[in-house]
Amino acid sequence: MQKALETLLIGLSTGSIYALMSLALVLVWRSTRVVNFAQAGQAMFSTYIGFEIASRSQIFWLGLIFAIVAGAVLGAGVDYFFMRVLFKHANSGPAAVVAPVIATLGLLGLIRSIVGLTWGGEFRAIEAPASKDGYTFGEITIPFSPLNTLIIVTVAIILIILAILFQRTNLGLALRASAYAPEIAQLAGIRTARTRTIGWAIAGGVGGVAGMLVTSYNFLTPYSLDLLLVFGFIAAVIGGLESMAGAVVGALVLGVGLTIILNYVGTSLVFIGGFAVLLLVLLIKPDGIMARGKVRRG
Amino acid sequence: MVNESAKKVRKKLLLFIFLGWVLLIIGDRLDELRVYQGAQIAMYTIALASIVLLTGYSGQVSLGNGAMMAVGGYAAALTLNNLQTPIWSAFMMAILVAALFGAFLGLAAARLSGPYLAGTTLALAVGLPAIANQFSFLGGEPGLLFDVGFPPERFGEEFTQYKWYFWIATFIALVSLFITSNILQSRFGRTWKAIRGNSLAAELSGIHSSQMKILAFTVSSGLAGLAGAVLAMTISLVAPGAYTLALSFALVTGAVLAGISSLPGVVLGGFILVAIPEIADALAASLGNQDKLNSYLPGLFVSVLLILSVIYTPNGPGENLRKHFHKKSAH
Repeated sequence: MQKALETLLIGLSTGSIYALMSLALVLVWRSTRVVNFAQAGQAMFSTYIGFEIASRSQIFWLGLIFAIVAGAVLGAGVDYFFMRVLFKHANSGPAAVVAPVIATLGLLGLIRSIVGLTWGGEFRAIEAPASKDGYTFGEITIPFSPLNTLIIVTVAIILIILAILFQRTNLGLALRASAYAPEIAQLAGIRTARTRTIGWAIAGGVGGVAGMLVTSYNFLTPYSLDLLLVFGFIAAVIGGLESMAGAVVGALVLGVGLTIILNYVGTSLVFIGGFAVLLLVLLIKPDGIMARGKVRRG
Repeated sequence: MVNESAKKVRKKLLLFIFLGWVLLIIGDRLDELRVYQGAQIAMYTIALASIVLLTGYSGQVSLGNGAMMAVGGYAAALTLNNLQTPIWSAFMMAILVAALFGAFLGLAAARLSGPYLAGTTLALAVGLPAIANQFSFLGGEPGLLFDVGFPPERFGEEFTQYKWYFWIATFIALVSLFITSNILQSRFGRTWKAIRGNSLAAELSGIHSSQMKILAFTVSSGLAGLAGAVLAMTISLVAPGAYTLALSFALVTGAVLAGISSLPGVVLGGFILVAIPEIADALAASLGNQDKLNSYLPGLFVSVLLILSVIYTPNGPGENLRKHFHKKSAH
């Protein structure tokens, strides 16, 4: 019983970080119809910025804020200077279908090499904003730590802010409208191109938070966020790629599921488990768990 | 009609034999390093051919070719080490196992459109090589030895190990390119192109699009597996470190640079993929040989090339030239 509870809590903590990554992917997918593989790179770059600030000022939260800003600026920049140019040029011939995917891959490589050339490949660590030692109840110490609590709380706050932004503001309405029906939104007077860039910026900022939170308990290297990208993608697919709520639910399910495998089966099967979940979802319910008989677009 | 196409195939066969003969002569005149790089180019051409077949023809994006190569490499090494069979059987096994794996994956892939497939194969490229770390019969991090043995004695004392690799790799590359080019010009190649162009129209013309997609995935994986075994041969071992995500990315880059739907382009792609690290190394050396430069400069080159080519010549340099001449003749 105790182990089951621990597994659930740890799973929710890891899952909440996946939730941010999968949200970032879903946000971009909804507006641009591209799965942005460069998101791992963008998040990594933002995390390095956050790492610099956090290690100089010794304040984790200041680093987090800078990571969000850096992620947002980079995200907007990628859309404005890169995706727009790409869609203008690569729109015909056999490569048109695959060009955006391959382009984001190239971008991932580019950001990775720039980060590598700037910071090198050494393992970096950020001092965690809370203790990594588990809570102790009398004699028993559980692996769930104050840091895990903090991660869950941080993600919850970000999610609430996003929910308010998307449901209660004009900007949120514009974002949803231009993702749902770009042409009609444009006719209704929304500047869809600009709205899309804002969507990329939000995704970038969210990715930055995910990177910082992962790095609060793990080392940072130019490759350290690749697995986060993969699990974020799997979570997004579980949620159906279209729905933001689905992305969050999918991530939490995945986080708990993988922690169950980790605690009860063994580390060697964690990745295989994740991959099996991905294949199963794609084969059985390709529209994701949140789908209500809707046909997949794209 | 049948005669006509048979004649074409025979002509092509003669061309390939001639090409092989030219390569043998060139191989004799080059120093060791170049011969070794020749073997690498041959390996890349096989791997790139698998991408051309899959992405350029059947329109499915796979970012996981590095993983398929790993499957082939491990299959070949396990066969050679455990069964003590001749080398050619190890290469056959690499094709077979990777193709089976590809068929299994293709079952899922055929139901997936672009982003889903790309993401799934990316996940595979990230995770599969790492799985080898977890299982002891795959040798863990240091990997397994893969030794094709010394060149036969009748070639003489002068015949070096690298030249032997070069011979094997070139022979395999020529044979597989010959077969691939025939497949692409057959009914299958045309069907794949039709599905890529408009899958709905293809289905209406009586094509089983999902079956054909699975077939494309299977053939392409077999080719990738073969390339993986050739790669294992040139470095004498199979290890997770040889089949990284960077390899998958490099292959996609090579395929895009060479024109994603042009089979002859793969040779150019192979040259570029071998040349990039060389150039980057030279540049890094002239800039002071720092650790950072050595490890990240090749990646920088690859990604910049990939981005530029995907934006400006998404269908390969050949396509741009054709368009250019088209415009000229129209005026």
